[in-house]
Amino acid sequence: MSSVEITQTMAIVRAIFPLLVALASLGILPLMRHRAFGAEKDAGDRAARAAISLLVLSALGTLLAGASYASTAQIGQTLIDPSEPGRLMAVLGGLVFALIVAIGEGRRAGVMGQLALFGIAGIDSALALPIGLAPIAILLFTGLAIGGVAAGGKDDPARARAVFRDLRTITLLLPAVVIAEILRSTISLSTTDAAYATPTSLGAGAVLALSLAALGASGAFPFHNRLVRIFESLPIVGSLMVGVWIPTAISLIVIGEIATIANGITEPIGGAVVPALVLAGVVTILFGAISALLHDDIGEIIGFLAVGNAGWIALAAAAAVNTPADPSSRLLAVPGALTMSLFGLWLIALRRRYGTTSLLALSGWARKTGAIMVVMIGALIALVALPPGVIIGARLTVLANAGGPLAGLLSVIGQLALIAAALRLFVTGFTEQSSTVKRTQPLRANNPLTVALLVGALAIGAGAAGWFSVEIGGSTPLTPPASSSPLPPDVSPSPDATVAP
Amino acid sequence: MNITGFELPLMLLVTVNAMLAVTTARRTAWVGLGLMIIFAALLEFHPTGSISYGLIARLAALGLALLIAMPDGIFTTAGFRSDLAPRQIVAALVAHPVVAASAVAGLLLGSIPLALPIETSNAAVRAAGIALLMIGVPPLLTSRYVEATSRAALVAISGTLLLRASIFGALEPIAALAFSAGLATVLIVGARVASTIAAGDES
Repeated sequence: MSSVEITQTMAIVRAIFPLLVALASLGILPLMRHRAFGAEKDAGDRAARAAISLLVLSALGTLLAGASYASTAQIGQTLIDPSEPGRLMAVLGGLVFALIVAIGEGRRAGVMGQLALFGIAGIDSALALPIGLAPIAILLFTGLAIGGVAAGGKDDPARARAVFRDLRTITLLLPAVVIAEILRSTISLSTTDAAYATPTSLGAGAVLALSLAALGASGAFPFHNRLVRIFESLPIVGSLMVGVWIPTAISLIVIGEIATIANGITEPIGGAVVPALVLAGVVTILFGAISALLHDDIGEIIGFLAVGNAGWIALAAAAAVNTPADPSSRLLAVPGALTMSLFGLWLIALRRRYGTTSLLALSGWARKTGAIMVVMIGALIALVALPPGVIIGARLTVLANAGGPLAGLLSVIGQLALIAAALRLFVTGFTEQSSTVKRTQPLRANNPLTVALLVGALAIGAGAAGWFSVEIGGSTPLTPPASSSPLPPDVSPSPDATVAP
Repeated sequence: MNITGFELPLMLLVTVNAMLAVTTARRTAWVGLGLMIIFAALLEFHPTGSISYGLIARLAALGLALLIAMPDGIFTTAGFRSDLAPRQIVAALVAHPVVAASAVAGLLLGSIPLALPIETSNAAVRAAGIALLMIGVPPLLTSRYVEATSRAALVAISGTLLLRASIFGALEPIAALAFSAGLATVLIVGARVASTIAAGDES
């Protein structure tokens, strides 16, 4: 092999490292379940440990590979150019899901780890392909496949209905993505040909179609029921991947596209697009917060908190239309995903320990399990974004750029209600212990898993609150797509064409 | 209209088979879906000269997915003979006049050059795409039959891809591969979900 070939091979390995690890898991996990590696009854544990190791390997390898020129590969006609947001999500996702799978344990922990590996690979690959709007479709399909596999463990009609709802939504969103692609491609034509609609109206149409894809994927109003059902019925790894991480990647693409379109048009894209997005955002935050306060199942409550998070994505899309150059609209996506992952971690730790998701049956949980209480403290820090810094600044900028004072006020009220819903979960932990809690053995502090839970929760919480400035990587613009253009008209003469004299 | 030799019959065949996939049950629906997939892929990838890897990937992925997704006990000669009888097929189509009207409306809407770059696009592919969207989207929003809705999802996505192909041409190789895998996912997940929900309803 020549040095050039070695460099090219290394570039390909670096460019698709998360995908390679995910594909490797297809061979490694069945191998680890084989009786040659130990007793049959421990096969699930071995597979889970292998999946956790692969998730950590995927994260560390991706971190080392980075998003530089050396990780850019050309495979055939396709350029694979890993983006900084994609790499950031792959690194953080690998570590976060490794922790969640480790805490979740269980019979299907290995499968869940594998799902996380493929979800992360899908996110990294989609954000690395500058091929127009196809990455959105890739992410939608990846989400559907993960939902389908996550629901496949038992024949539960509720799970099946959640996946069916997802299938319906995705099928309806794909035409919106294609319509956006068609409208976007015509903007350049409309500047030279008066027969087309104006660039502003075409841009507004493209933005509206793209926003629909982001709202549908993230579970903002009117698609909020989809997200709630996902969190209600799917295992937590599937819920977080399908309901939070993949939508976050889609929203990064959509917000980037919206900013590019708005930047390219001299007149402001206004009309009904921005008010519609602001209305969707405000209603989503308020709905998520009020519902979270009214429910007693912690699975449902986490689902409603995710709905509230989706409201901020809608507001960020509106802000991107008004002020495309401002990076604040892209700054909120990754911290939001980390915050929801921390709530997911808390949920799975609590469910694993007490075997129930009813808040009434979990009164006094924090007094009994201090380590899980630390996870909730991390989640609260992430949700409140304390101490006030770049995340709160970005939220306020998004509110100022998105809509008027009323929308801003309602959004702040909604966010405070979301925090109140999370505080309710926390305070319940200090009330009188229920019989379920009393019966349960407390966690041992010297358990390696407990230590990992404590360190991981605090690190994720700090990252989501903006202490390490990891969110900056998520706000970097994606590689602009190669502009799709319509096929040239057929220039061959028609049979009835006449020759001019 | 730049309808060339094989595009007009393909356009009609795609539309009729999409109608069968949505309106009928059991063998007729699965046969209709399989034929719709083949004809839609031929229209989309236009294999006039060299072999298109996107077309091969699409047909291979969906062929395999169809075999996985189809219910057990479907391959019986007698069953095919009775289900695919022309009288049965015509009766099924006549029983769903709204779907037939949607298909015709879609073909007409797609054939007329509208605004935007659509005027430079391929009329037959565009007409088939819009017809498939008109056939596939309404059941997605309204149908209570999970299995039929899953097939309608595939019809709608195929229509979307045809509409896109009529303007931009066939997908790039990586995107074509991703869409092949995605369509196969829709088919398999839809069938599995349908059987789980049906089993739950029965019990």
